Amino acid sequence: MLAVLAVSVGPFLWQLSTSLKSTTEDIYTYPPGLLPEHPTLDNYKGVADIVPVWDYALNSLKVAAANVVTNLVGASMAGYALARLRFRGRKAAGLAFVAALLVPLESIVIAQFTMMRDLQLNNTLTAVVLPGAVGALNVLLMRNAFANLPYEVEEAAVIDGANVWQRFTRIALPSVRGTLAAVAIFAFMGAWDDFLWPLIVLSDPDRFTLTVGLNFLHGTFQQNPRLVAAGTVIAVAPLLVMFACLQRYFFRGVGEGAVKG
Amino acid sequence: MQRAAGRTPERRPARAGRVRTHRAASPWLFLLPGLGVVAAFVLYPFLSTVHKAFTDARTLTPGTWVGLRNFREMLDDEQFWVALRNSVLYVVAVVPLTVLLPLLLALLVHKKLPGVTFFRSAFYTPVVASVVVVSLIWGWMLDDRGLVNGILRFLGAGPVAFLGDQWLLLLSAMALTVWRGLGYYMIIYLAALANVPRELHEAAAVDGAGPLRRFASVTVPALRSTMVLVGALSSVAAFKVFSEVYLLAGPTGGPAGQDTTLVMLVQRTGTGLNGRVGYASALSLAVFVLTLLLMLLVLRADRKEADG
Amino acid sequence: MPPSRSAAVVTAPLLASVLLLSACGSGGDGGGGGGADGKPEGSITFQTWNLRSNFKGYFDGLVRDFEKANPGVKVRWLDQPAENYAEKLSADAGAGTLPDVVNVSPDLSYPLAKAGLLMNLDKEKAAARFKDEYTPEAWQGNTLPGLDGSYAFPWYLNTGPLFYNKSLFRQAGLDPEKPPKSYDELFTAARAMAGKPGGRTATLAGTPSIEDFGRYGVKLMNEDATRFTYNEPEGVELLTRYKELYDRGALDAQALTNTPEKSGQKFLEQKVAMNPGSAHDLGTFKKNAPALYRNLGITDAPNNNGKPNMYVMGLAVNARGKHKAAAVAFAHFVTDRRNQEAFAHQVAVFPSTKGSLDDPYWTKDDGTDEGRVRVASAKMLKGAVNYTPVVMSDEMKVVLKNEVAKALQGKKSPKEALDDAAAQSDKLLKRS
Repeated sequence: MLAVLAVSVGPFLWQLSTSLKSTTEDIYTYPPGLLPEHPTLDNYKGVADIVPVWDYALNSLKVAAANVVTNLVGASMAGYALARLRFRGRKAAGLAFVAALLVPLESIVIAQFTMMRDLQLNNTLTAVVLPGAVGALNVLLMRNAFANLPYEVEEAAVIDGANVWQRFTRIALPSVRGTLAAVAIFAFMGAWDDFLWPLIVLSDPDRFTLTVGLNFLHGTFQQNPRLVAAGTVIAVAPLLVMFACLQRYFFRGVGEGAVKG
Repeated sequence: MQRAAGRTPERRPARAGRVRTHRAASPWLFLLPGLGVVAAFVLYPFLSTVHKAFTDARTLTPGTWVGLRNFREMLDDEQFWVALRNSVLYVVAVVPLTVLLPLLLALLVHKKLPGVTFFRSAFYTPVVASVVVVSLIWGWMLDDRGLVNGILRFLGAGPVAFLGDQWLLLLSAMALTVWRGLGYYMIIYLAALANVPRELHEAAAVDGAGPLRRFASVTVPALRSTMVLVGALSSVAAFKVFSEVYLLAGPTGGPAGQDTTLVMLVQRTGTGLNGRVGYASALSLAVFVLTLLLMLLVLRADRKEADG
Repeated sequence: MPPSRSAAVVTAPLLASVLLLSACGSGGDGGGGGGADGKPEGSITFQTWNLRSNFKGYFDGLVRDFEKANPGVKVRWLDQPAENYAEKLSADAGAGTLPDVVNVSPDLSYPLAKAGLLMNLDKEKAAARFKDEYTPEAWQGNTLPGLDGSYAFPWYLNTGPLFYNKSLFRQAGLDPEKPPKSYDELFTAARAMAGKPGGRTATLAGTPSIEDFGRYGVKLMNEDATRFTYNEPEGVELLTRYKELYDRGALDAQALTNTPEKSGQKFLEQKVAMNPGSAHDLGTFKKNAPALYRNLGITDAPNNNGKPNMYVMGLAVNARGKHKAAAVAFAHFVTDRRNQEAFAHQVAVFPSTKGSLDDPYWTKDDGTDEGRVRVASAKMLKGAVNYTPVVMSDEMKVVLKNEVAKALQGKKSPKEALDDAAAQSDKLLKRS
């Protein structure tokens, strides 16, 4: 357990340590020095001097938040229909999502960009969100979650004459909170970490997202690994916070019931 | 994964409602947002890839129809077979571990133990750390004069060139993939665990089942389909592995290109201003079909198991 | 309606439209608007490659000055990060959104020019008249084989010495003040390093790249750049010598896969004794590896034909832009003598304008390490060439690296490996 822990957290701590090292320290020593001798926050200031971190972070946040909302709504609705409703074409619809999951994204980036240009959306944050607005993976996760609910849970509501939308919002959704939290995390992470697509679609430096902006830290003429490390820490911190906030949905409190009608 | 099902296959009862309890249009309204986005921005652009696979298009020229030439070239391409071999090996080695280890982790941190919150976040850290950083650090650890070799030397073993040998490189990349997948798939399992209704546990407890019995009769059946899903997802991910190998083995795909994977090949032939888009599209199409088969195989195996 | 049919109904027109679209080829917007001869006016975009973070003030100043001198012109400055620059250019070129003035290296401008997206400066009077302001080597460096002209205004140049680690030299019993000057001395030193008792030290981090073959005096391509010729006897000789080094352990254990960045890092970590670099690496050494900097030796990279290697950067003009006169004027403005020299004072690169390198700043050693390297490099640039053939795509570079690896591993003879690499690359070249 502790070993797993060391291997898991080690790299991140090392990043943190590098980002705190001052300019007088060798960072290419062998073995790598684990603790900064003169901890300093200058590198974080340095990052902010080179790139407008806050503006970029705000752009990323907008994109990630939009992505979370669209994915939660779109994926849970589609997942519910695939898992719980009987209709002709269900298999085909399911297969469409599986197919979308398998499409090698690298091969369609340029086609997507041309589409965005035709829609007059290139160089907008909307275009950054659109292609991943509902991830096929999330649809399949939601479908799996709904399919695992015992049918009895909904039967009573059917007898009470609740329509399909009421059953979905009042009964099915609250029972899959865990998966909703997982989808939220994945959607946030996916949008937050994406690099190639925002790079291709955005041309205006004011609209860059954090990942694209932080890439400027890899200087053409000089590398400062401390700054790169600081940038990485800045990029990762929100994801850890997000996980910490959402994790209580994975672990229900003892007193909490499962289904609140 | 596959067990010969010696029993007579029976149809499983359909999961969906036994009676239709909604208007005919409802399901499509439910599907509209998701299916709309996926169809418009993923499947439709992919059609142009499919078309390009039969042309000699390049990055900046549309190209002309060449029929099956790209596919014939692919079969003659020594690198393609190397890449296919590596991708298949990757699936075989990585998937079983990826299905089981995160499940164990999820069960471990699902318990209420002191300090467990910290551990949960800790296991999740590798997921958020960028693959570039992680590979850099693994590169240091596995270097011929790195940390691991330092420990080996201390134990009296000679240095092992983890990053100089094609097989050790592939193994290192696999280990890295499994390690990065731990937290990711743990989350999927945790979510599924959280969805297991408490009533079931309570009902089982009332029936006098102990924790072990409860686990076997309540938790495992509830997680079964999730394990299959994780199996399918990780198969696809392993087959399409790119970053870990690219960063550990370098853009050339290891010594003499022996560690190239399929997606690396797509990237190498199809990107840049000189990209042979036609050929890379043919490769992409092959990857697409192969992953589809792989996914269906996993799901089929599951169905066989479930029958009876 | 049953799903299968509905799917067919939807996909058939889609497919048809895809086929139609590709059949028409790229419609494009033709020649675009204003010719290059008129008065500069209109709003143009100017794209640099990862220079915003360190030189924002400089470029903002350039734009301001230019707009002041040309009241009818508005310049929007864009800057792209280091990674995936070629992808970004591909997407823009494919969608017809290429900026009016683009920062390119010759290997990037070649495919763009071939597709007819860049202006041929030799053929456009408005641009050709500036030709004499640049050094012939620099103008030649942006001239593309088979395309009959230069496609970018020469911008900054770079070249560099070979750095070596004096303390590793000392440990191997070599004289740290007598670095190897020729290939023979280099290989001898490498053998000594590898043979020293108490642990071997690798001298070089990488396998020979195309420019190493060039510096060794190997003819890389035929005259009209349609066929690779590095499999000639000199090429085989170089690879054979490298194989001997590899067998003795004089190359880094991961030499077969190291990228230039990785090699640089190994040198920083003091795991290899020598590494080629350039003037601005000094800052990196100073900041990130002070211990190495104290033991840093600097020498000229050996070459057999008296021509060092150089890297060239240029500014290309979009052939389909709407305001070509403004684009040409601005590209020339950024690359004129005054502005190039100002830029080269800010960072250790070298101007490509005629007479610039005769300035005392590049001829008089001021006693600092930076000054020493600057003067030495400037001297090297006279007669330097860009060895890497512009028609050599990344894929061809991978082919060469992997065949070289097979030779070093002993899976093929050096001759066989180079023959195969050249044959594969020729095939790729024919298709392009």
